[in-house]
Amino acid sequence: MLDRRSLLAGAAAVGVASFARAGRAADAPAIVGVSGPITGPMAQYGAQWKASFDLALEQSKAAGGPAVDYVFEDSQADPRQSVAIAQKFVNDDRIFIEIGDFSSTASMAASPIYQRAKLVQFGMTNSHPDFTKGGDYMWSSSISQAEEQPNLADYAVNALGLKKLAVLHLNTDWGTTAKNLFVKAAQDKGADVVATEAFLPGEHDFRSTLVRIRDANPTGLVLEAYYADAAVIARQVRELGLKQPIAAVGSVYSPKLLELGGDAVNGMFTQSNFFPDDPRPEVQAFVKAFQAKYGRAPDGFNATAYDTMNLVIALVKQFSATREGIHEGLAKIKDVPSVVYGSMTFDPTTRRVAGAKFERLTVKDDKFVLWDGTKPNLG
Amino acid sequence: MMLGPWLDYTVNGLIIGNIYALLAVGLALIFGVANLINFAHGSVYTVGAYIGWASITFLHTPLPITLLLVIVGCGLLGIAIERVGLRALHGRSRIAPLLATIGISLVLDQLVQLICSPDPRALPNQLGDRRFQIGGGTIGTLDILIAGIGIGSAALLYLFLRFTKLGWAVRATAQDQDAARQMGVDTDRVNMTVFAIASALGGVGGVLVGMYYNDIDPNMSFDATLKGVVAMMIGGLGNVPGAIGGGLLLGLTESYGIALFGSSYRNLFAFALLILILVAAPNGLFQRRRETPPEPLTGTFVARSRPVRLPPWLVAGAVVVAALLPLTNQPYLLQTLTNGLLSALLALSLTLVAGTVGQISLGHAALLAIGGYASGLLALDLGWPVDLGVPAAGLITAALGTLLVYPALRMRGHYVSIATLGIGQIVALVILNWTGLTRGAMGLTGLPPPEIGGFDLTSVRSVYWLVLALVVGIALLQARLLSSHLGRAWRAIREDDVAARSYGVDANRYKAMAFAFGGFGAGVGGAITAHVYSYIDYQTFSATLSILALTMVILGGLGNIVGAILGAVVLTALPEMFRFAADYRMLAYGLVLLLLIRYRPQGLLGTV
Repeated sequence: MLDRRSLLAGAAAVGVASFARAGRAADAPAIVGVSGPITGPMAQYGAQWKASFDLALEQSKAAGGPAVDYVFEDSQADPRQSVAIAQKFVNDDRIFIEIGDFSSTASMAASPIYQRAKLVQFGMTNSHPDFTKGGDYMWSSSISQAEEQPNLADYAVNALGLKKLAVLHLNTDWGTTAKNLFVKAAQDKGADVVATEAFLPGEHDFRSTLVRIRDANPTGLVLEAYYADAAVIARQVRELGLKQPIAAVGSVYSPKLLELGGDAVNGMFTQSNFFPDDPRPEVQAFVKAFQAKYGRAPDGFNATAYDTMNLVIALVKQFSATREGIHEGLAKIKDVPSVVYGSMTFDPTTRRVAGAKFERLTVKDDKFVLWDGTKPNLG
Repeated sequence: MMLGPWLDYTVNGLIIGNIYALLAVGLALIFGVANLINFAHGSVYTVGAYIGWASITFLHTPLPITLLLVIVGCGLLGIAIERVGLRALHGRSRIAPLLATIGISLVLDQLVQLICSPDPRALPNQLGDRRFQIGGGTIGTLDILIAGIGIGSAALLYLFLRFTKLGWAVRATAQDQDAARQMGVDTDRVNMTVFAIASALGGVGGVLVGMYYNDIDPNMSFDATLKGVVAMMIGGLGNVPGAIGGGLLLGLTESYGIALFGSSYRNLFAFALLILILVAAPNGLFQRRRETPPEPLTGTFVARSRPVRLPPWLVAGAVVVAALLPLTNQPYLLQTLTNGLLSALLALSLTLVAGTVGQISLGHAALLAIGGYASGLLALDLGWPVDLGVPAAGLITAALGTLLVYPALRMRGHYVSIATLGIGQIVALVILNWTGLTRGAMGLTGLPPPEIGGFDLTSVRSVYWLVLALVVGIALLQARLLSSHLGRAWRAIREDDVAARSYGVDANRYKAMAFAFGGFGAGVGGAITAHVYSYIDYQTFSATLSILALTMVILGGLGNIVGAILGAVVLTALPEMFRFAADYRMLAYGLVLLLLIRYRPQGLLGTV
């Protein structure tokens, strides 16, 4: 029988081994440290990152690119674990750049450690406006909501002609920022925002919230949500008998939206900086390769992760696989080919990328298609 | 006022209430017999949803067959949980099975995630969707089926319990397990039957709700358990028909809450209702007469054992080694230990409240949140230096924590646990919604690092020393208190509340003192965490942390000071040690936890 002593002794031995792994010799291959969720509530996003990292590295290797590898440490998007991972990474000489974490809660708790150790923390999903203010080693390629929301407002108000809007948003730093920016932009364009409703992550029952929205009498609904929430909301909107058109932020763009939403998402309007039918060659090459390797279409999170690993490879090629090299390189590197942006160049003062491209999309016959300019019937 | 929307809100409340009721019926059944809040119920519900998904996707089964497979699958799972996970813990203490269900839930969720991937899945509605107009909205056939199964199963169970021989055996076991056994009732078989029925119901609930939303994912368990427990509590612990009423009332409260104040307040209303019911009608709304709650009156809630007496030189030696550790250059190890010691501040507080005074708190992380926000806001908004803000945050947490827990002070056993769970949720939701003070979902950014006398502590080493010193200081103080008359009064309350009162011990006052002292330590811990992270939001100190803190305390041995510190460090280090296991990391953690509960239910160092 397994008694406590042998169990603890075994655990301790494993523990010492795992703690001692950090900080090995410097002549080993250059390694990217990734801190993100592999288990826990956000695990699906970590899995998407991995898929794209593997694809990007495989392609680079086949093309004779530099020897770069990555280690993925599971943080569960929990700040307690992301700070421990940060200490592990900054004290591991092989690691020359860090990617992640997924949520701002986890990323920003670790930022002071990366900043003090002068290791770049590249938060590819961190749209919290204060993330890059953590220090000059915090960089992000996340789509700036300050850029996306006016675009969405233009789509909804001017292009689709929705003048009385109800906004449903996720009650997180991302959703709140998005909502505030959208409301301001929509009002500037002359629209009325007649209702705003916040919901918690994981919430599934929107019926009563939608009654409130119905009684505010909007001509259109706007969702600041991820795809799973958006699908559930759209179904309940239609079940309640609301016929208003729905416009949603780019993060709903995912094949999963169609799967989970079914009929209810037909006619939904969204925009995406990544669209597989986009004729741009870099997009087509990525979609084809991803489809071949994984047998499914990539979504926006895949695209972001793919871009990021390619950026790292470009930085290593043009500068060096060292912490200082990356830090200098990010400020200098120009026009890195990108699926999301077309080409990426960082603004050295905000440490973010400007100029995301937005394609206007709609769902038609259970597929995302480019919006053909037809205004919805507001009857 | 127009009637129209209120009819819609009522219908919507009843529809979501249905789902809560279905969850609550299973929980109530298990509680009625095993006197146990089954925290794995939500996980069984998730497993049910996935069995349904798999049989529809791969076997293309029609609805009746799908439901049958789910009933069989989840029934067997329930039997396995009872047989493998819980039976061995029988008669040891009430707290060991509770903890075991938490461990089982962790393992089940991880297994689902590993087997089915963490992606959300669509679960197509096989019933077809005919919709009927009611008021301004519609209800579908699935809504009616969910209601039918909830009410039907409650009615069937009621008849089963009342009129069948096995049902009598179940009720006899619920009333007095030992007496039932003496009368020849096979109580093991009864327990197994009950777990099978309740789990099958939970699984059916999972499938139907999954179809309802056309969306299932491996993380739907926790919310399901939480709402189910609240609904059961409103109906009365272990009251099967009451669970239906509790679920519907909870749904209605949420729906009206949304109607009046907006959707971000829905859970605030749910938990406020819970606290109200606990204070005003602790036996639930549907108890016919005032029965004594089915709770141990004496200290059987906490396992009895002889504590391991550690020689003082060993403890002193361990402290010296810990203090010298930063001299080796191991920052990752130090950061992990710092996290462990910060958790130890929470665990020390909880071991006092839960172990020494016997008030098992399931919302303790709220104290960290209050401390973190208090110190953070003092620094950001009032410009207080951190070394002044941190102790002030400790005092604020002590005061506010005691005030918040005040309604729970006159409760016992499971009632305290559920009340504190609710209070913890309320604190998090107030932080999220009180945007003017707390900045809401944006959290507090740019918090200054910890400092002493104007010197910033930024290195891992200095923070580690600071936290170590605090842990040692608070532990010594707590040990001193426990050996004073205060400690004796606390233990007297734990052992026998009524006897303590009749000896003139003002139990509420002493409980409040324990919460105040514990609140101070936890508040300081939360404050330092906030300054180390530089950023906190309402999710930094989540409900899962409260449950983790309880596992730390139970693992160390309830009331055991050294045990609490050991438990905190071990449970913080374990997930780090299992990093090599990658995707299987949390599964390994859950299994180790279960083994520890199985072979050492009184904790590593024993209960004091």
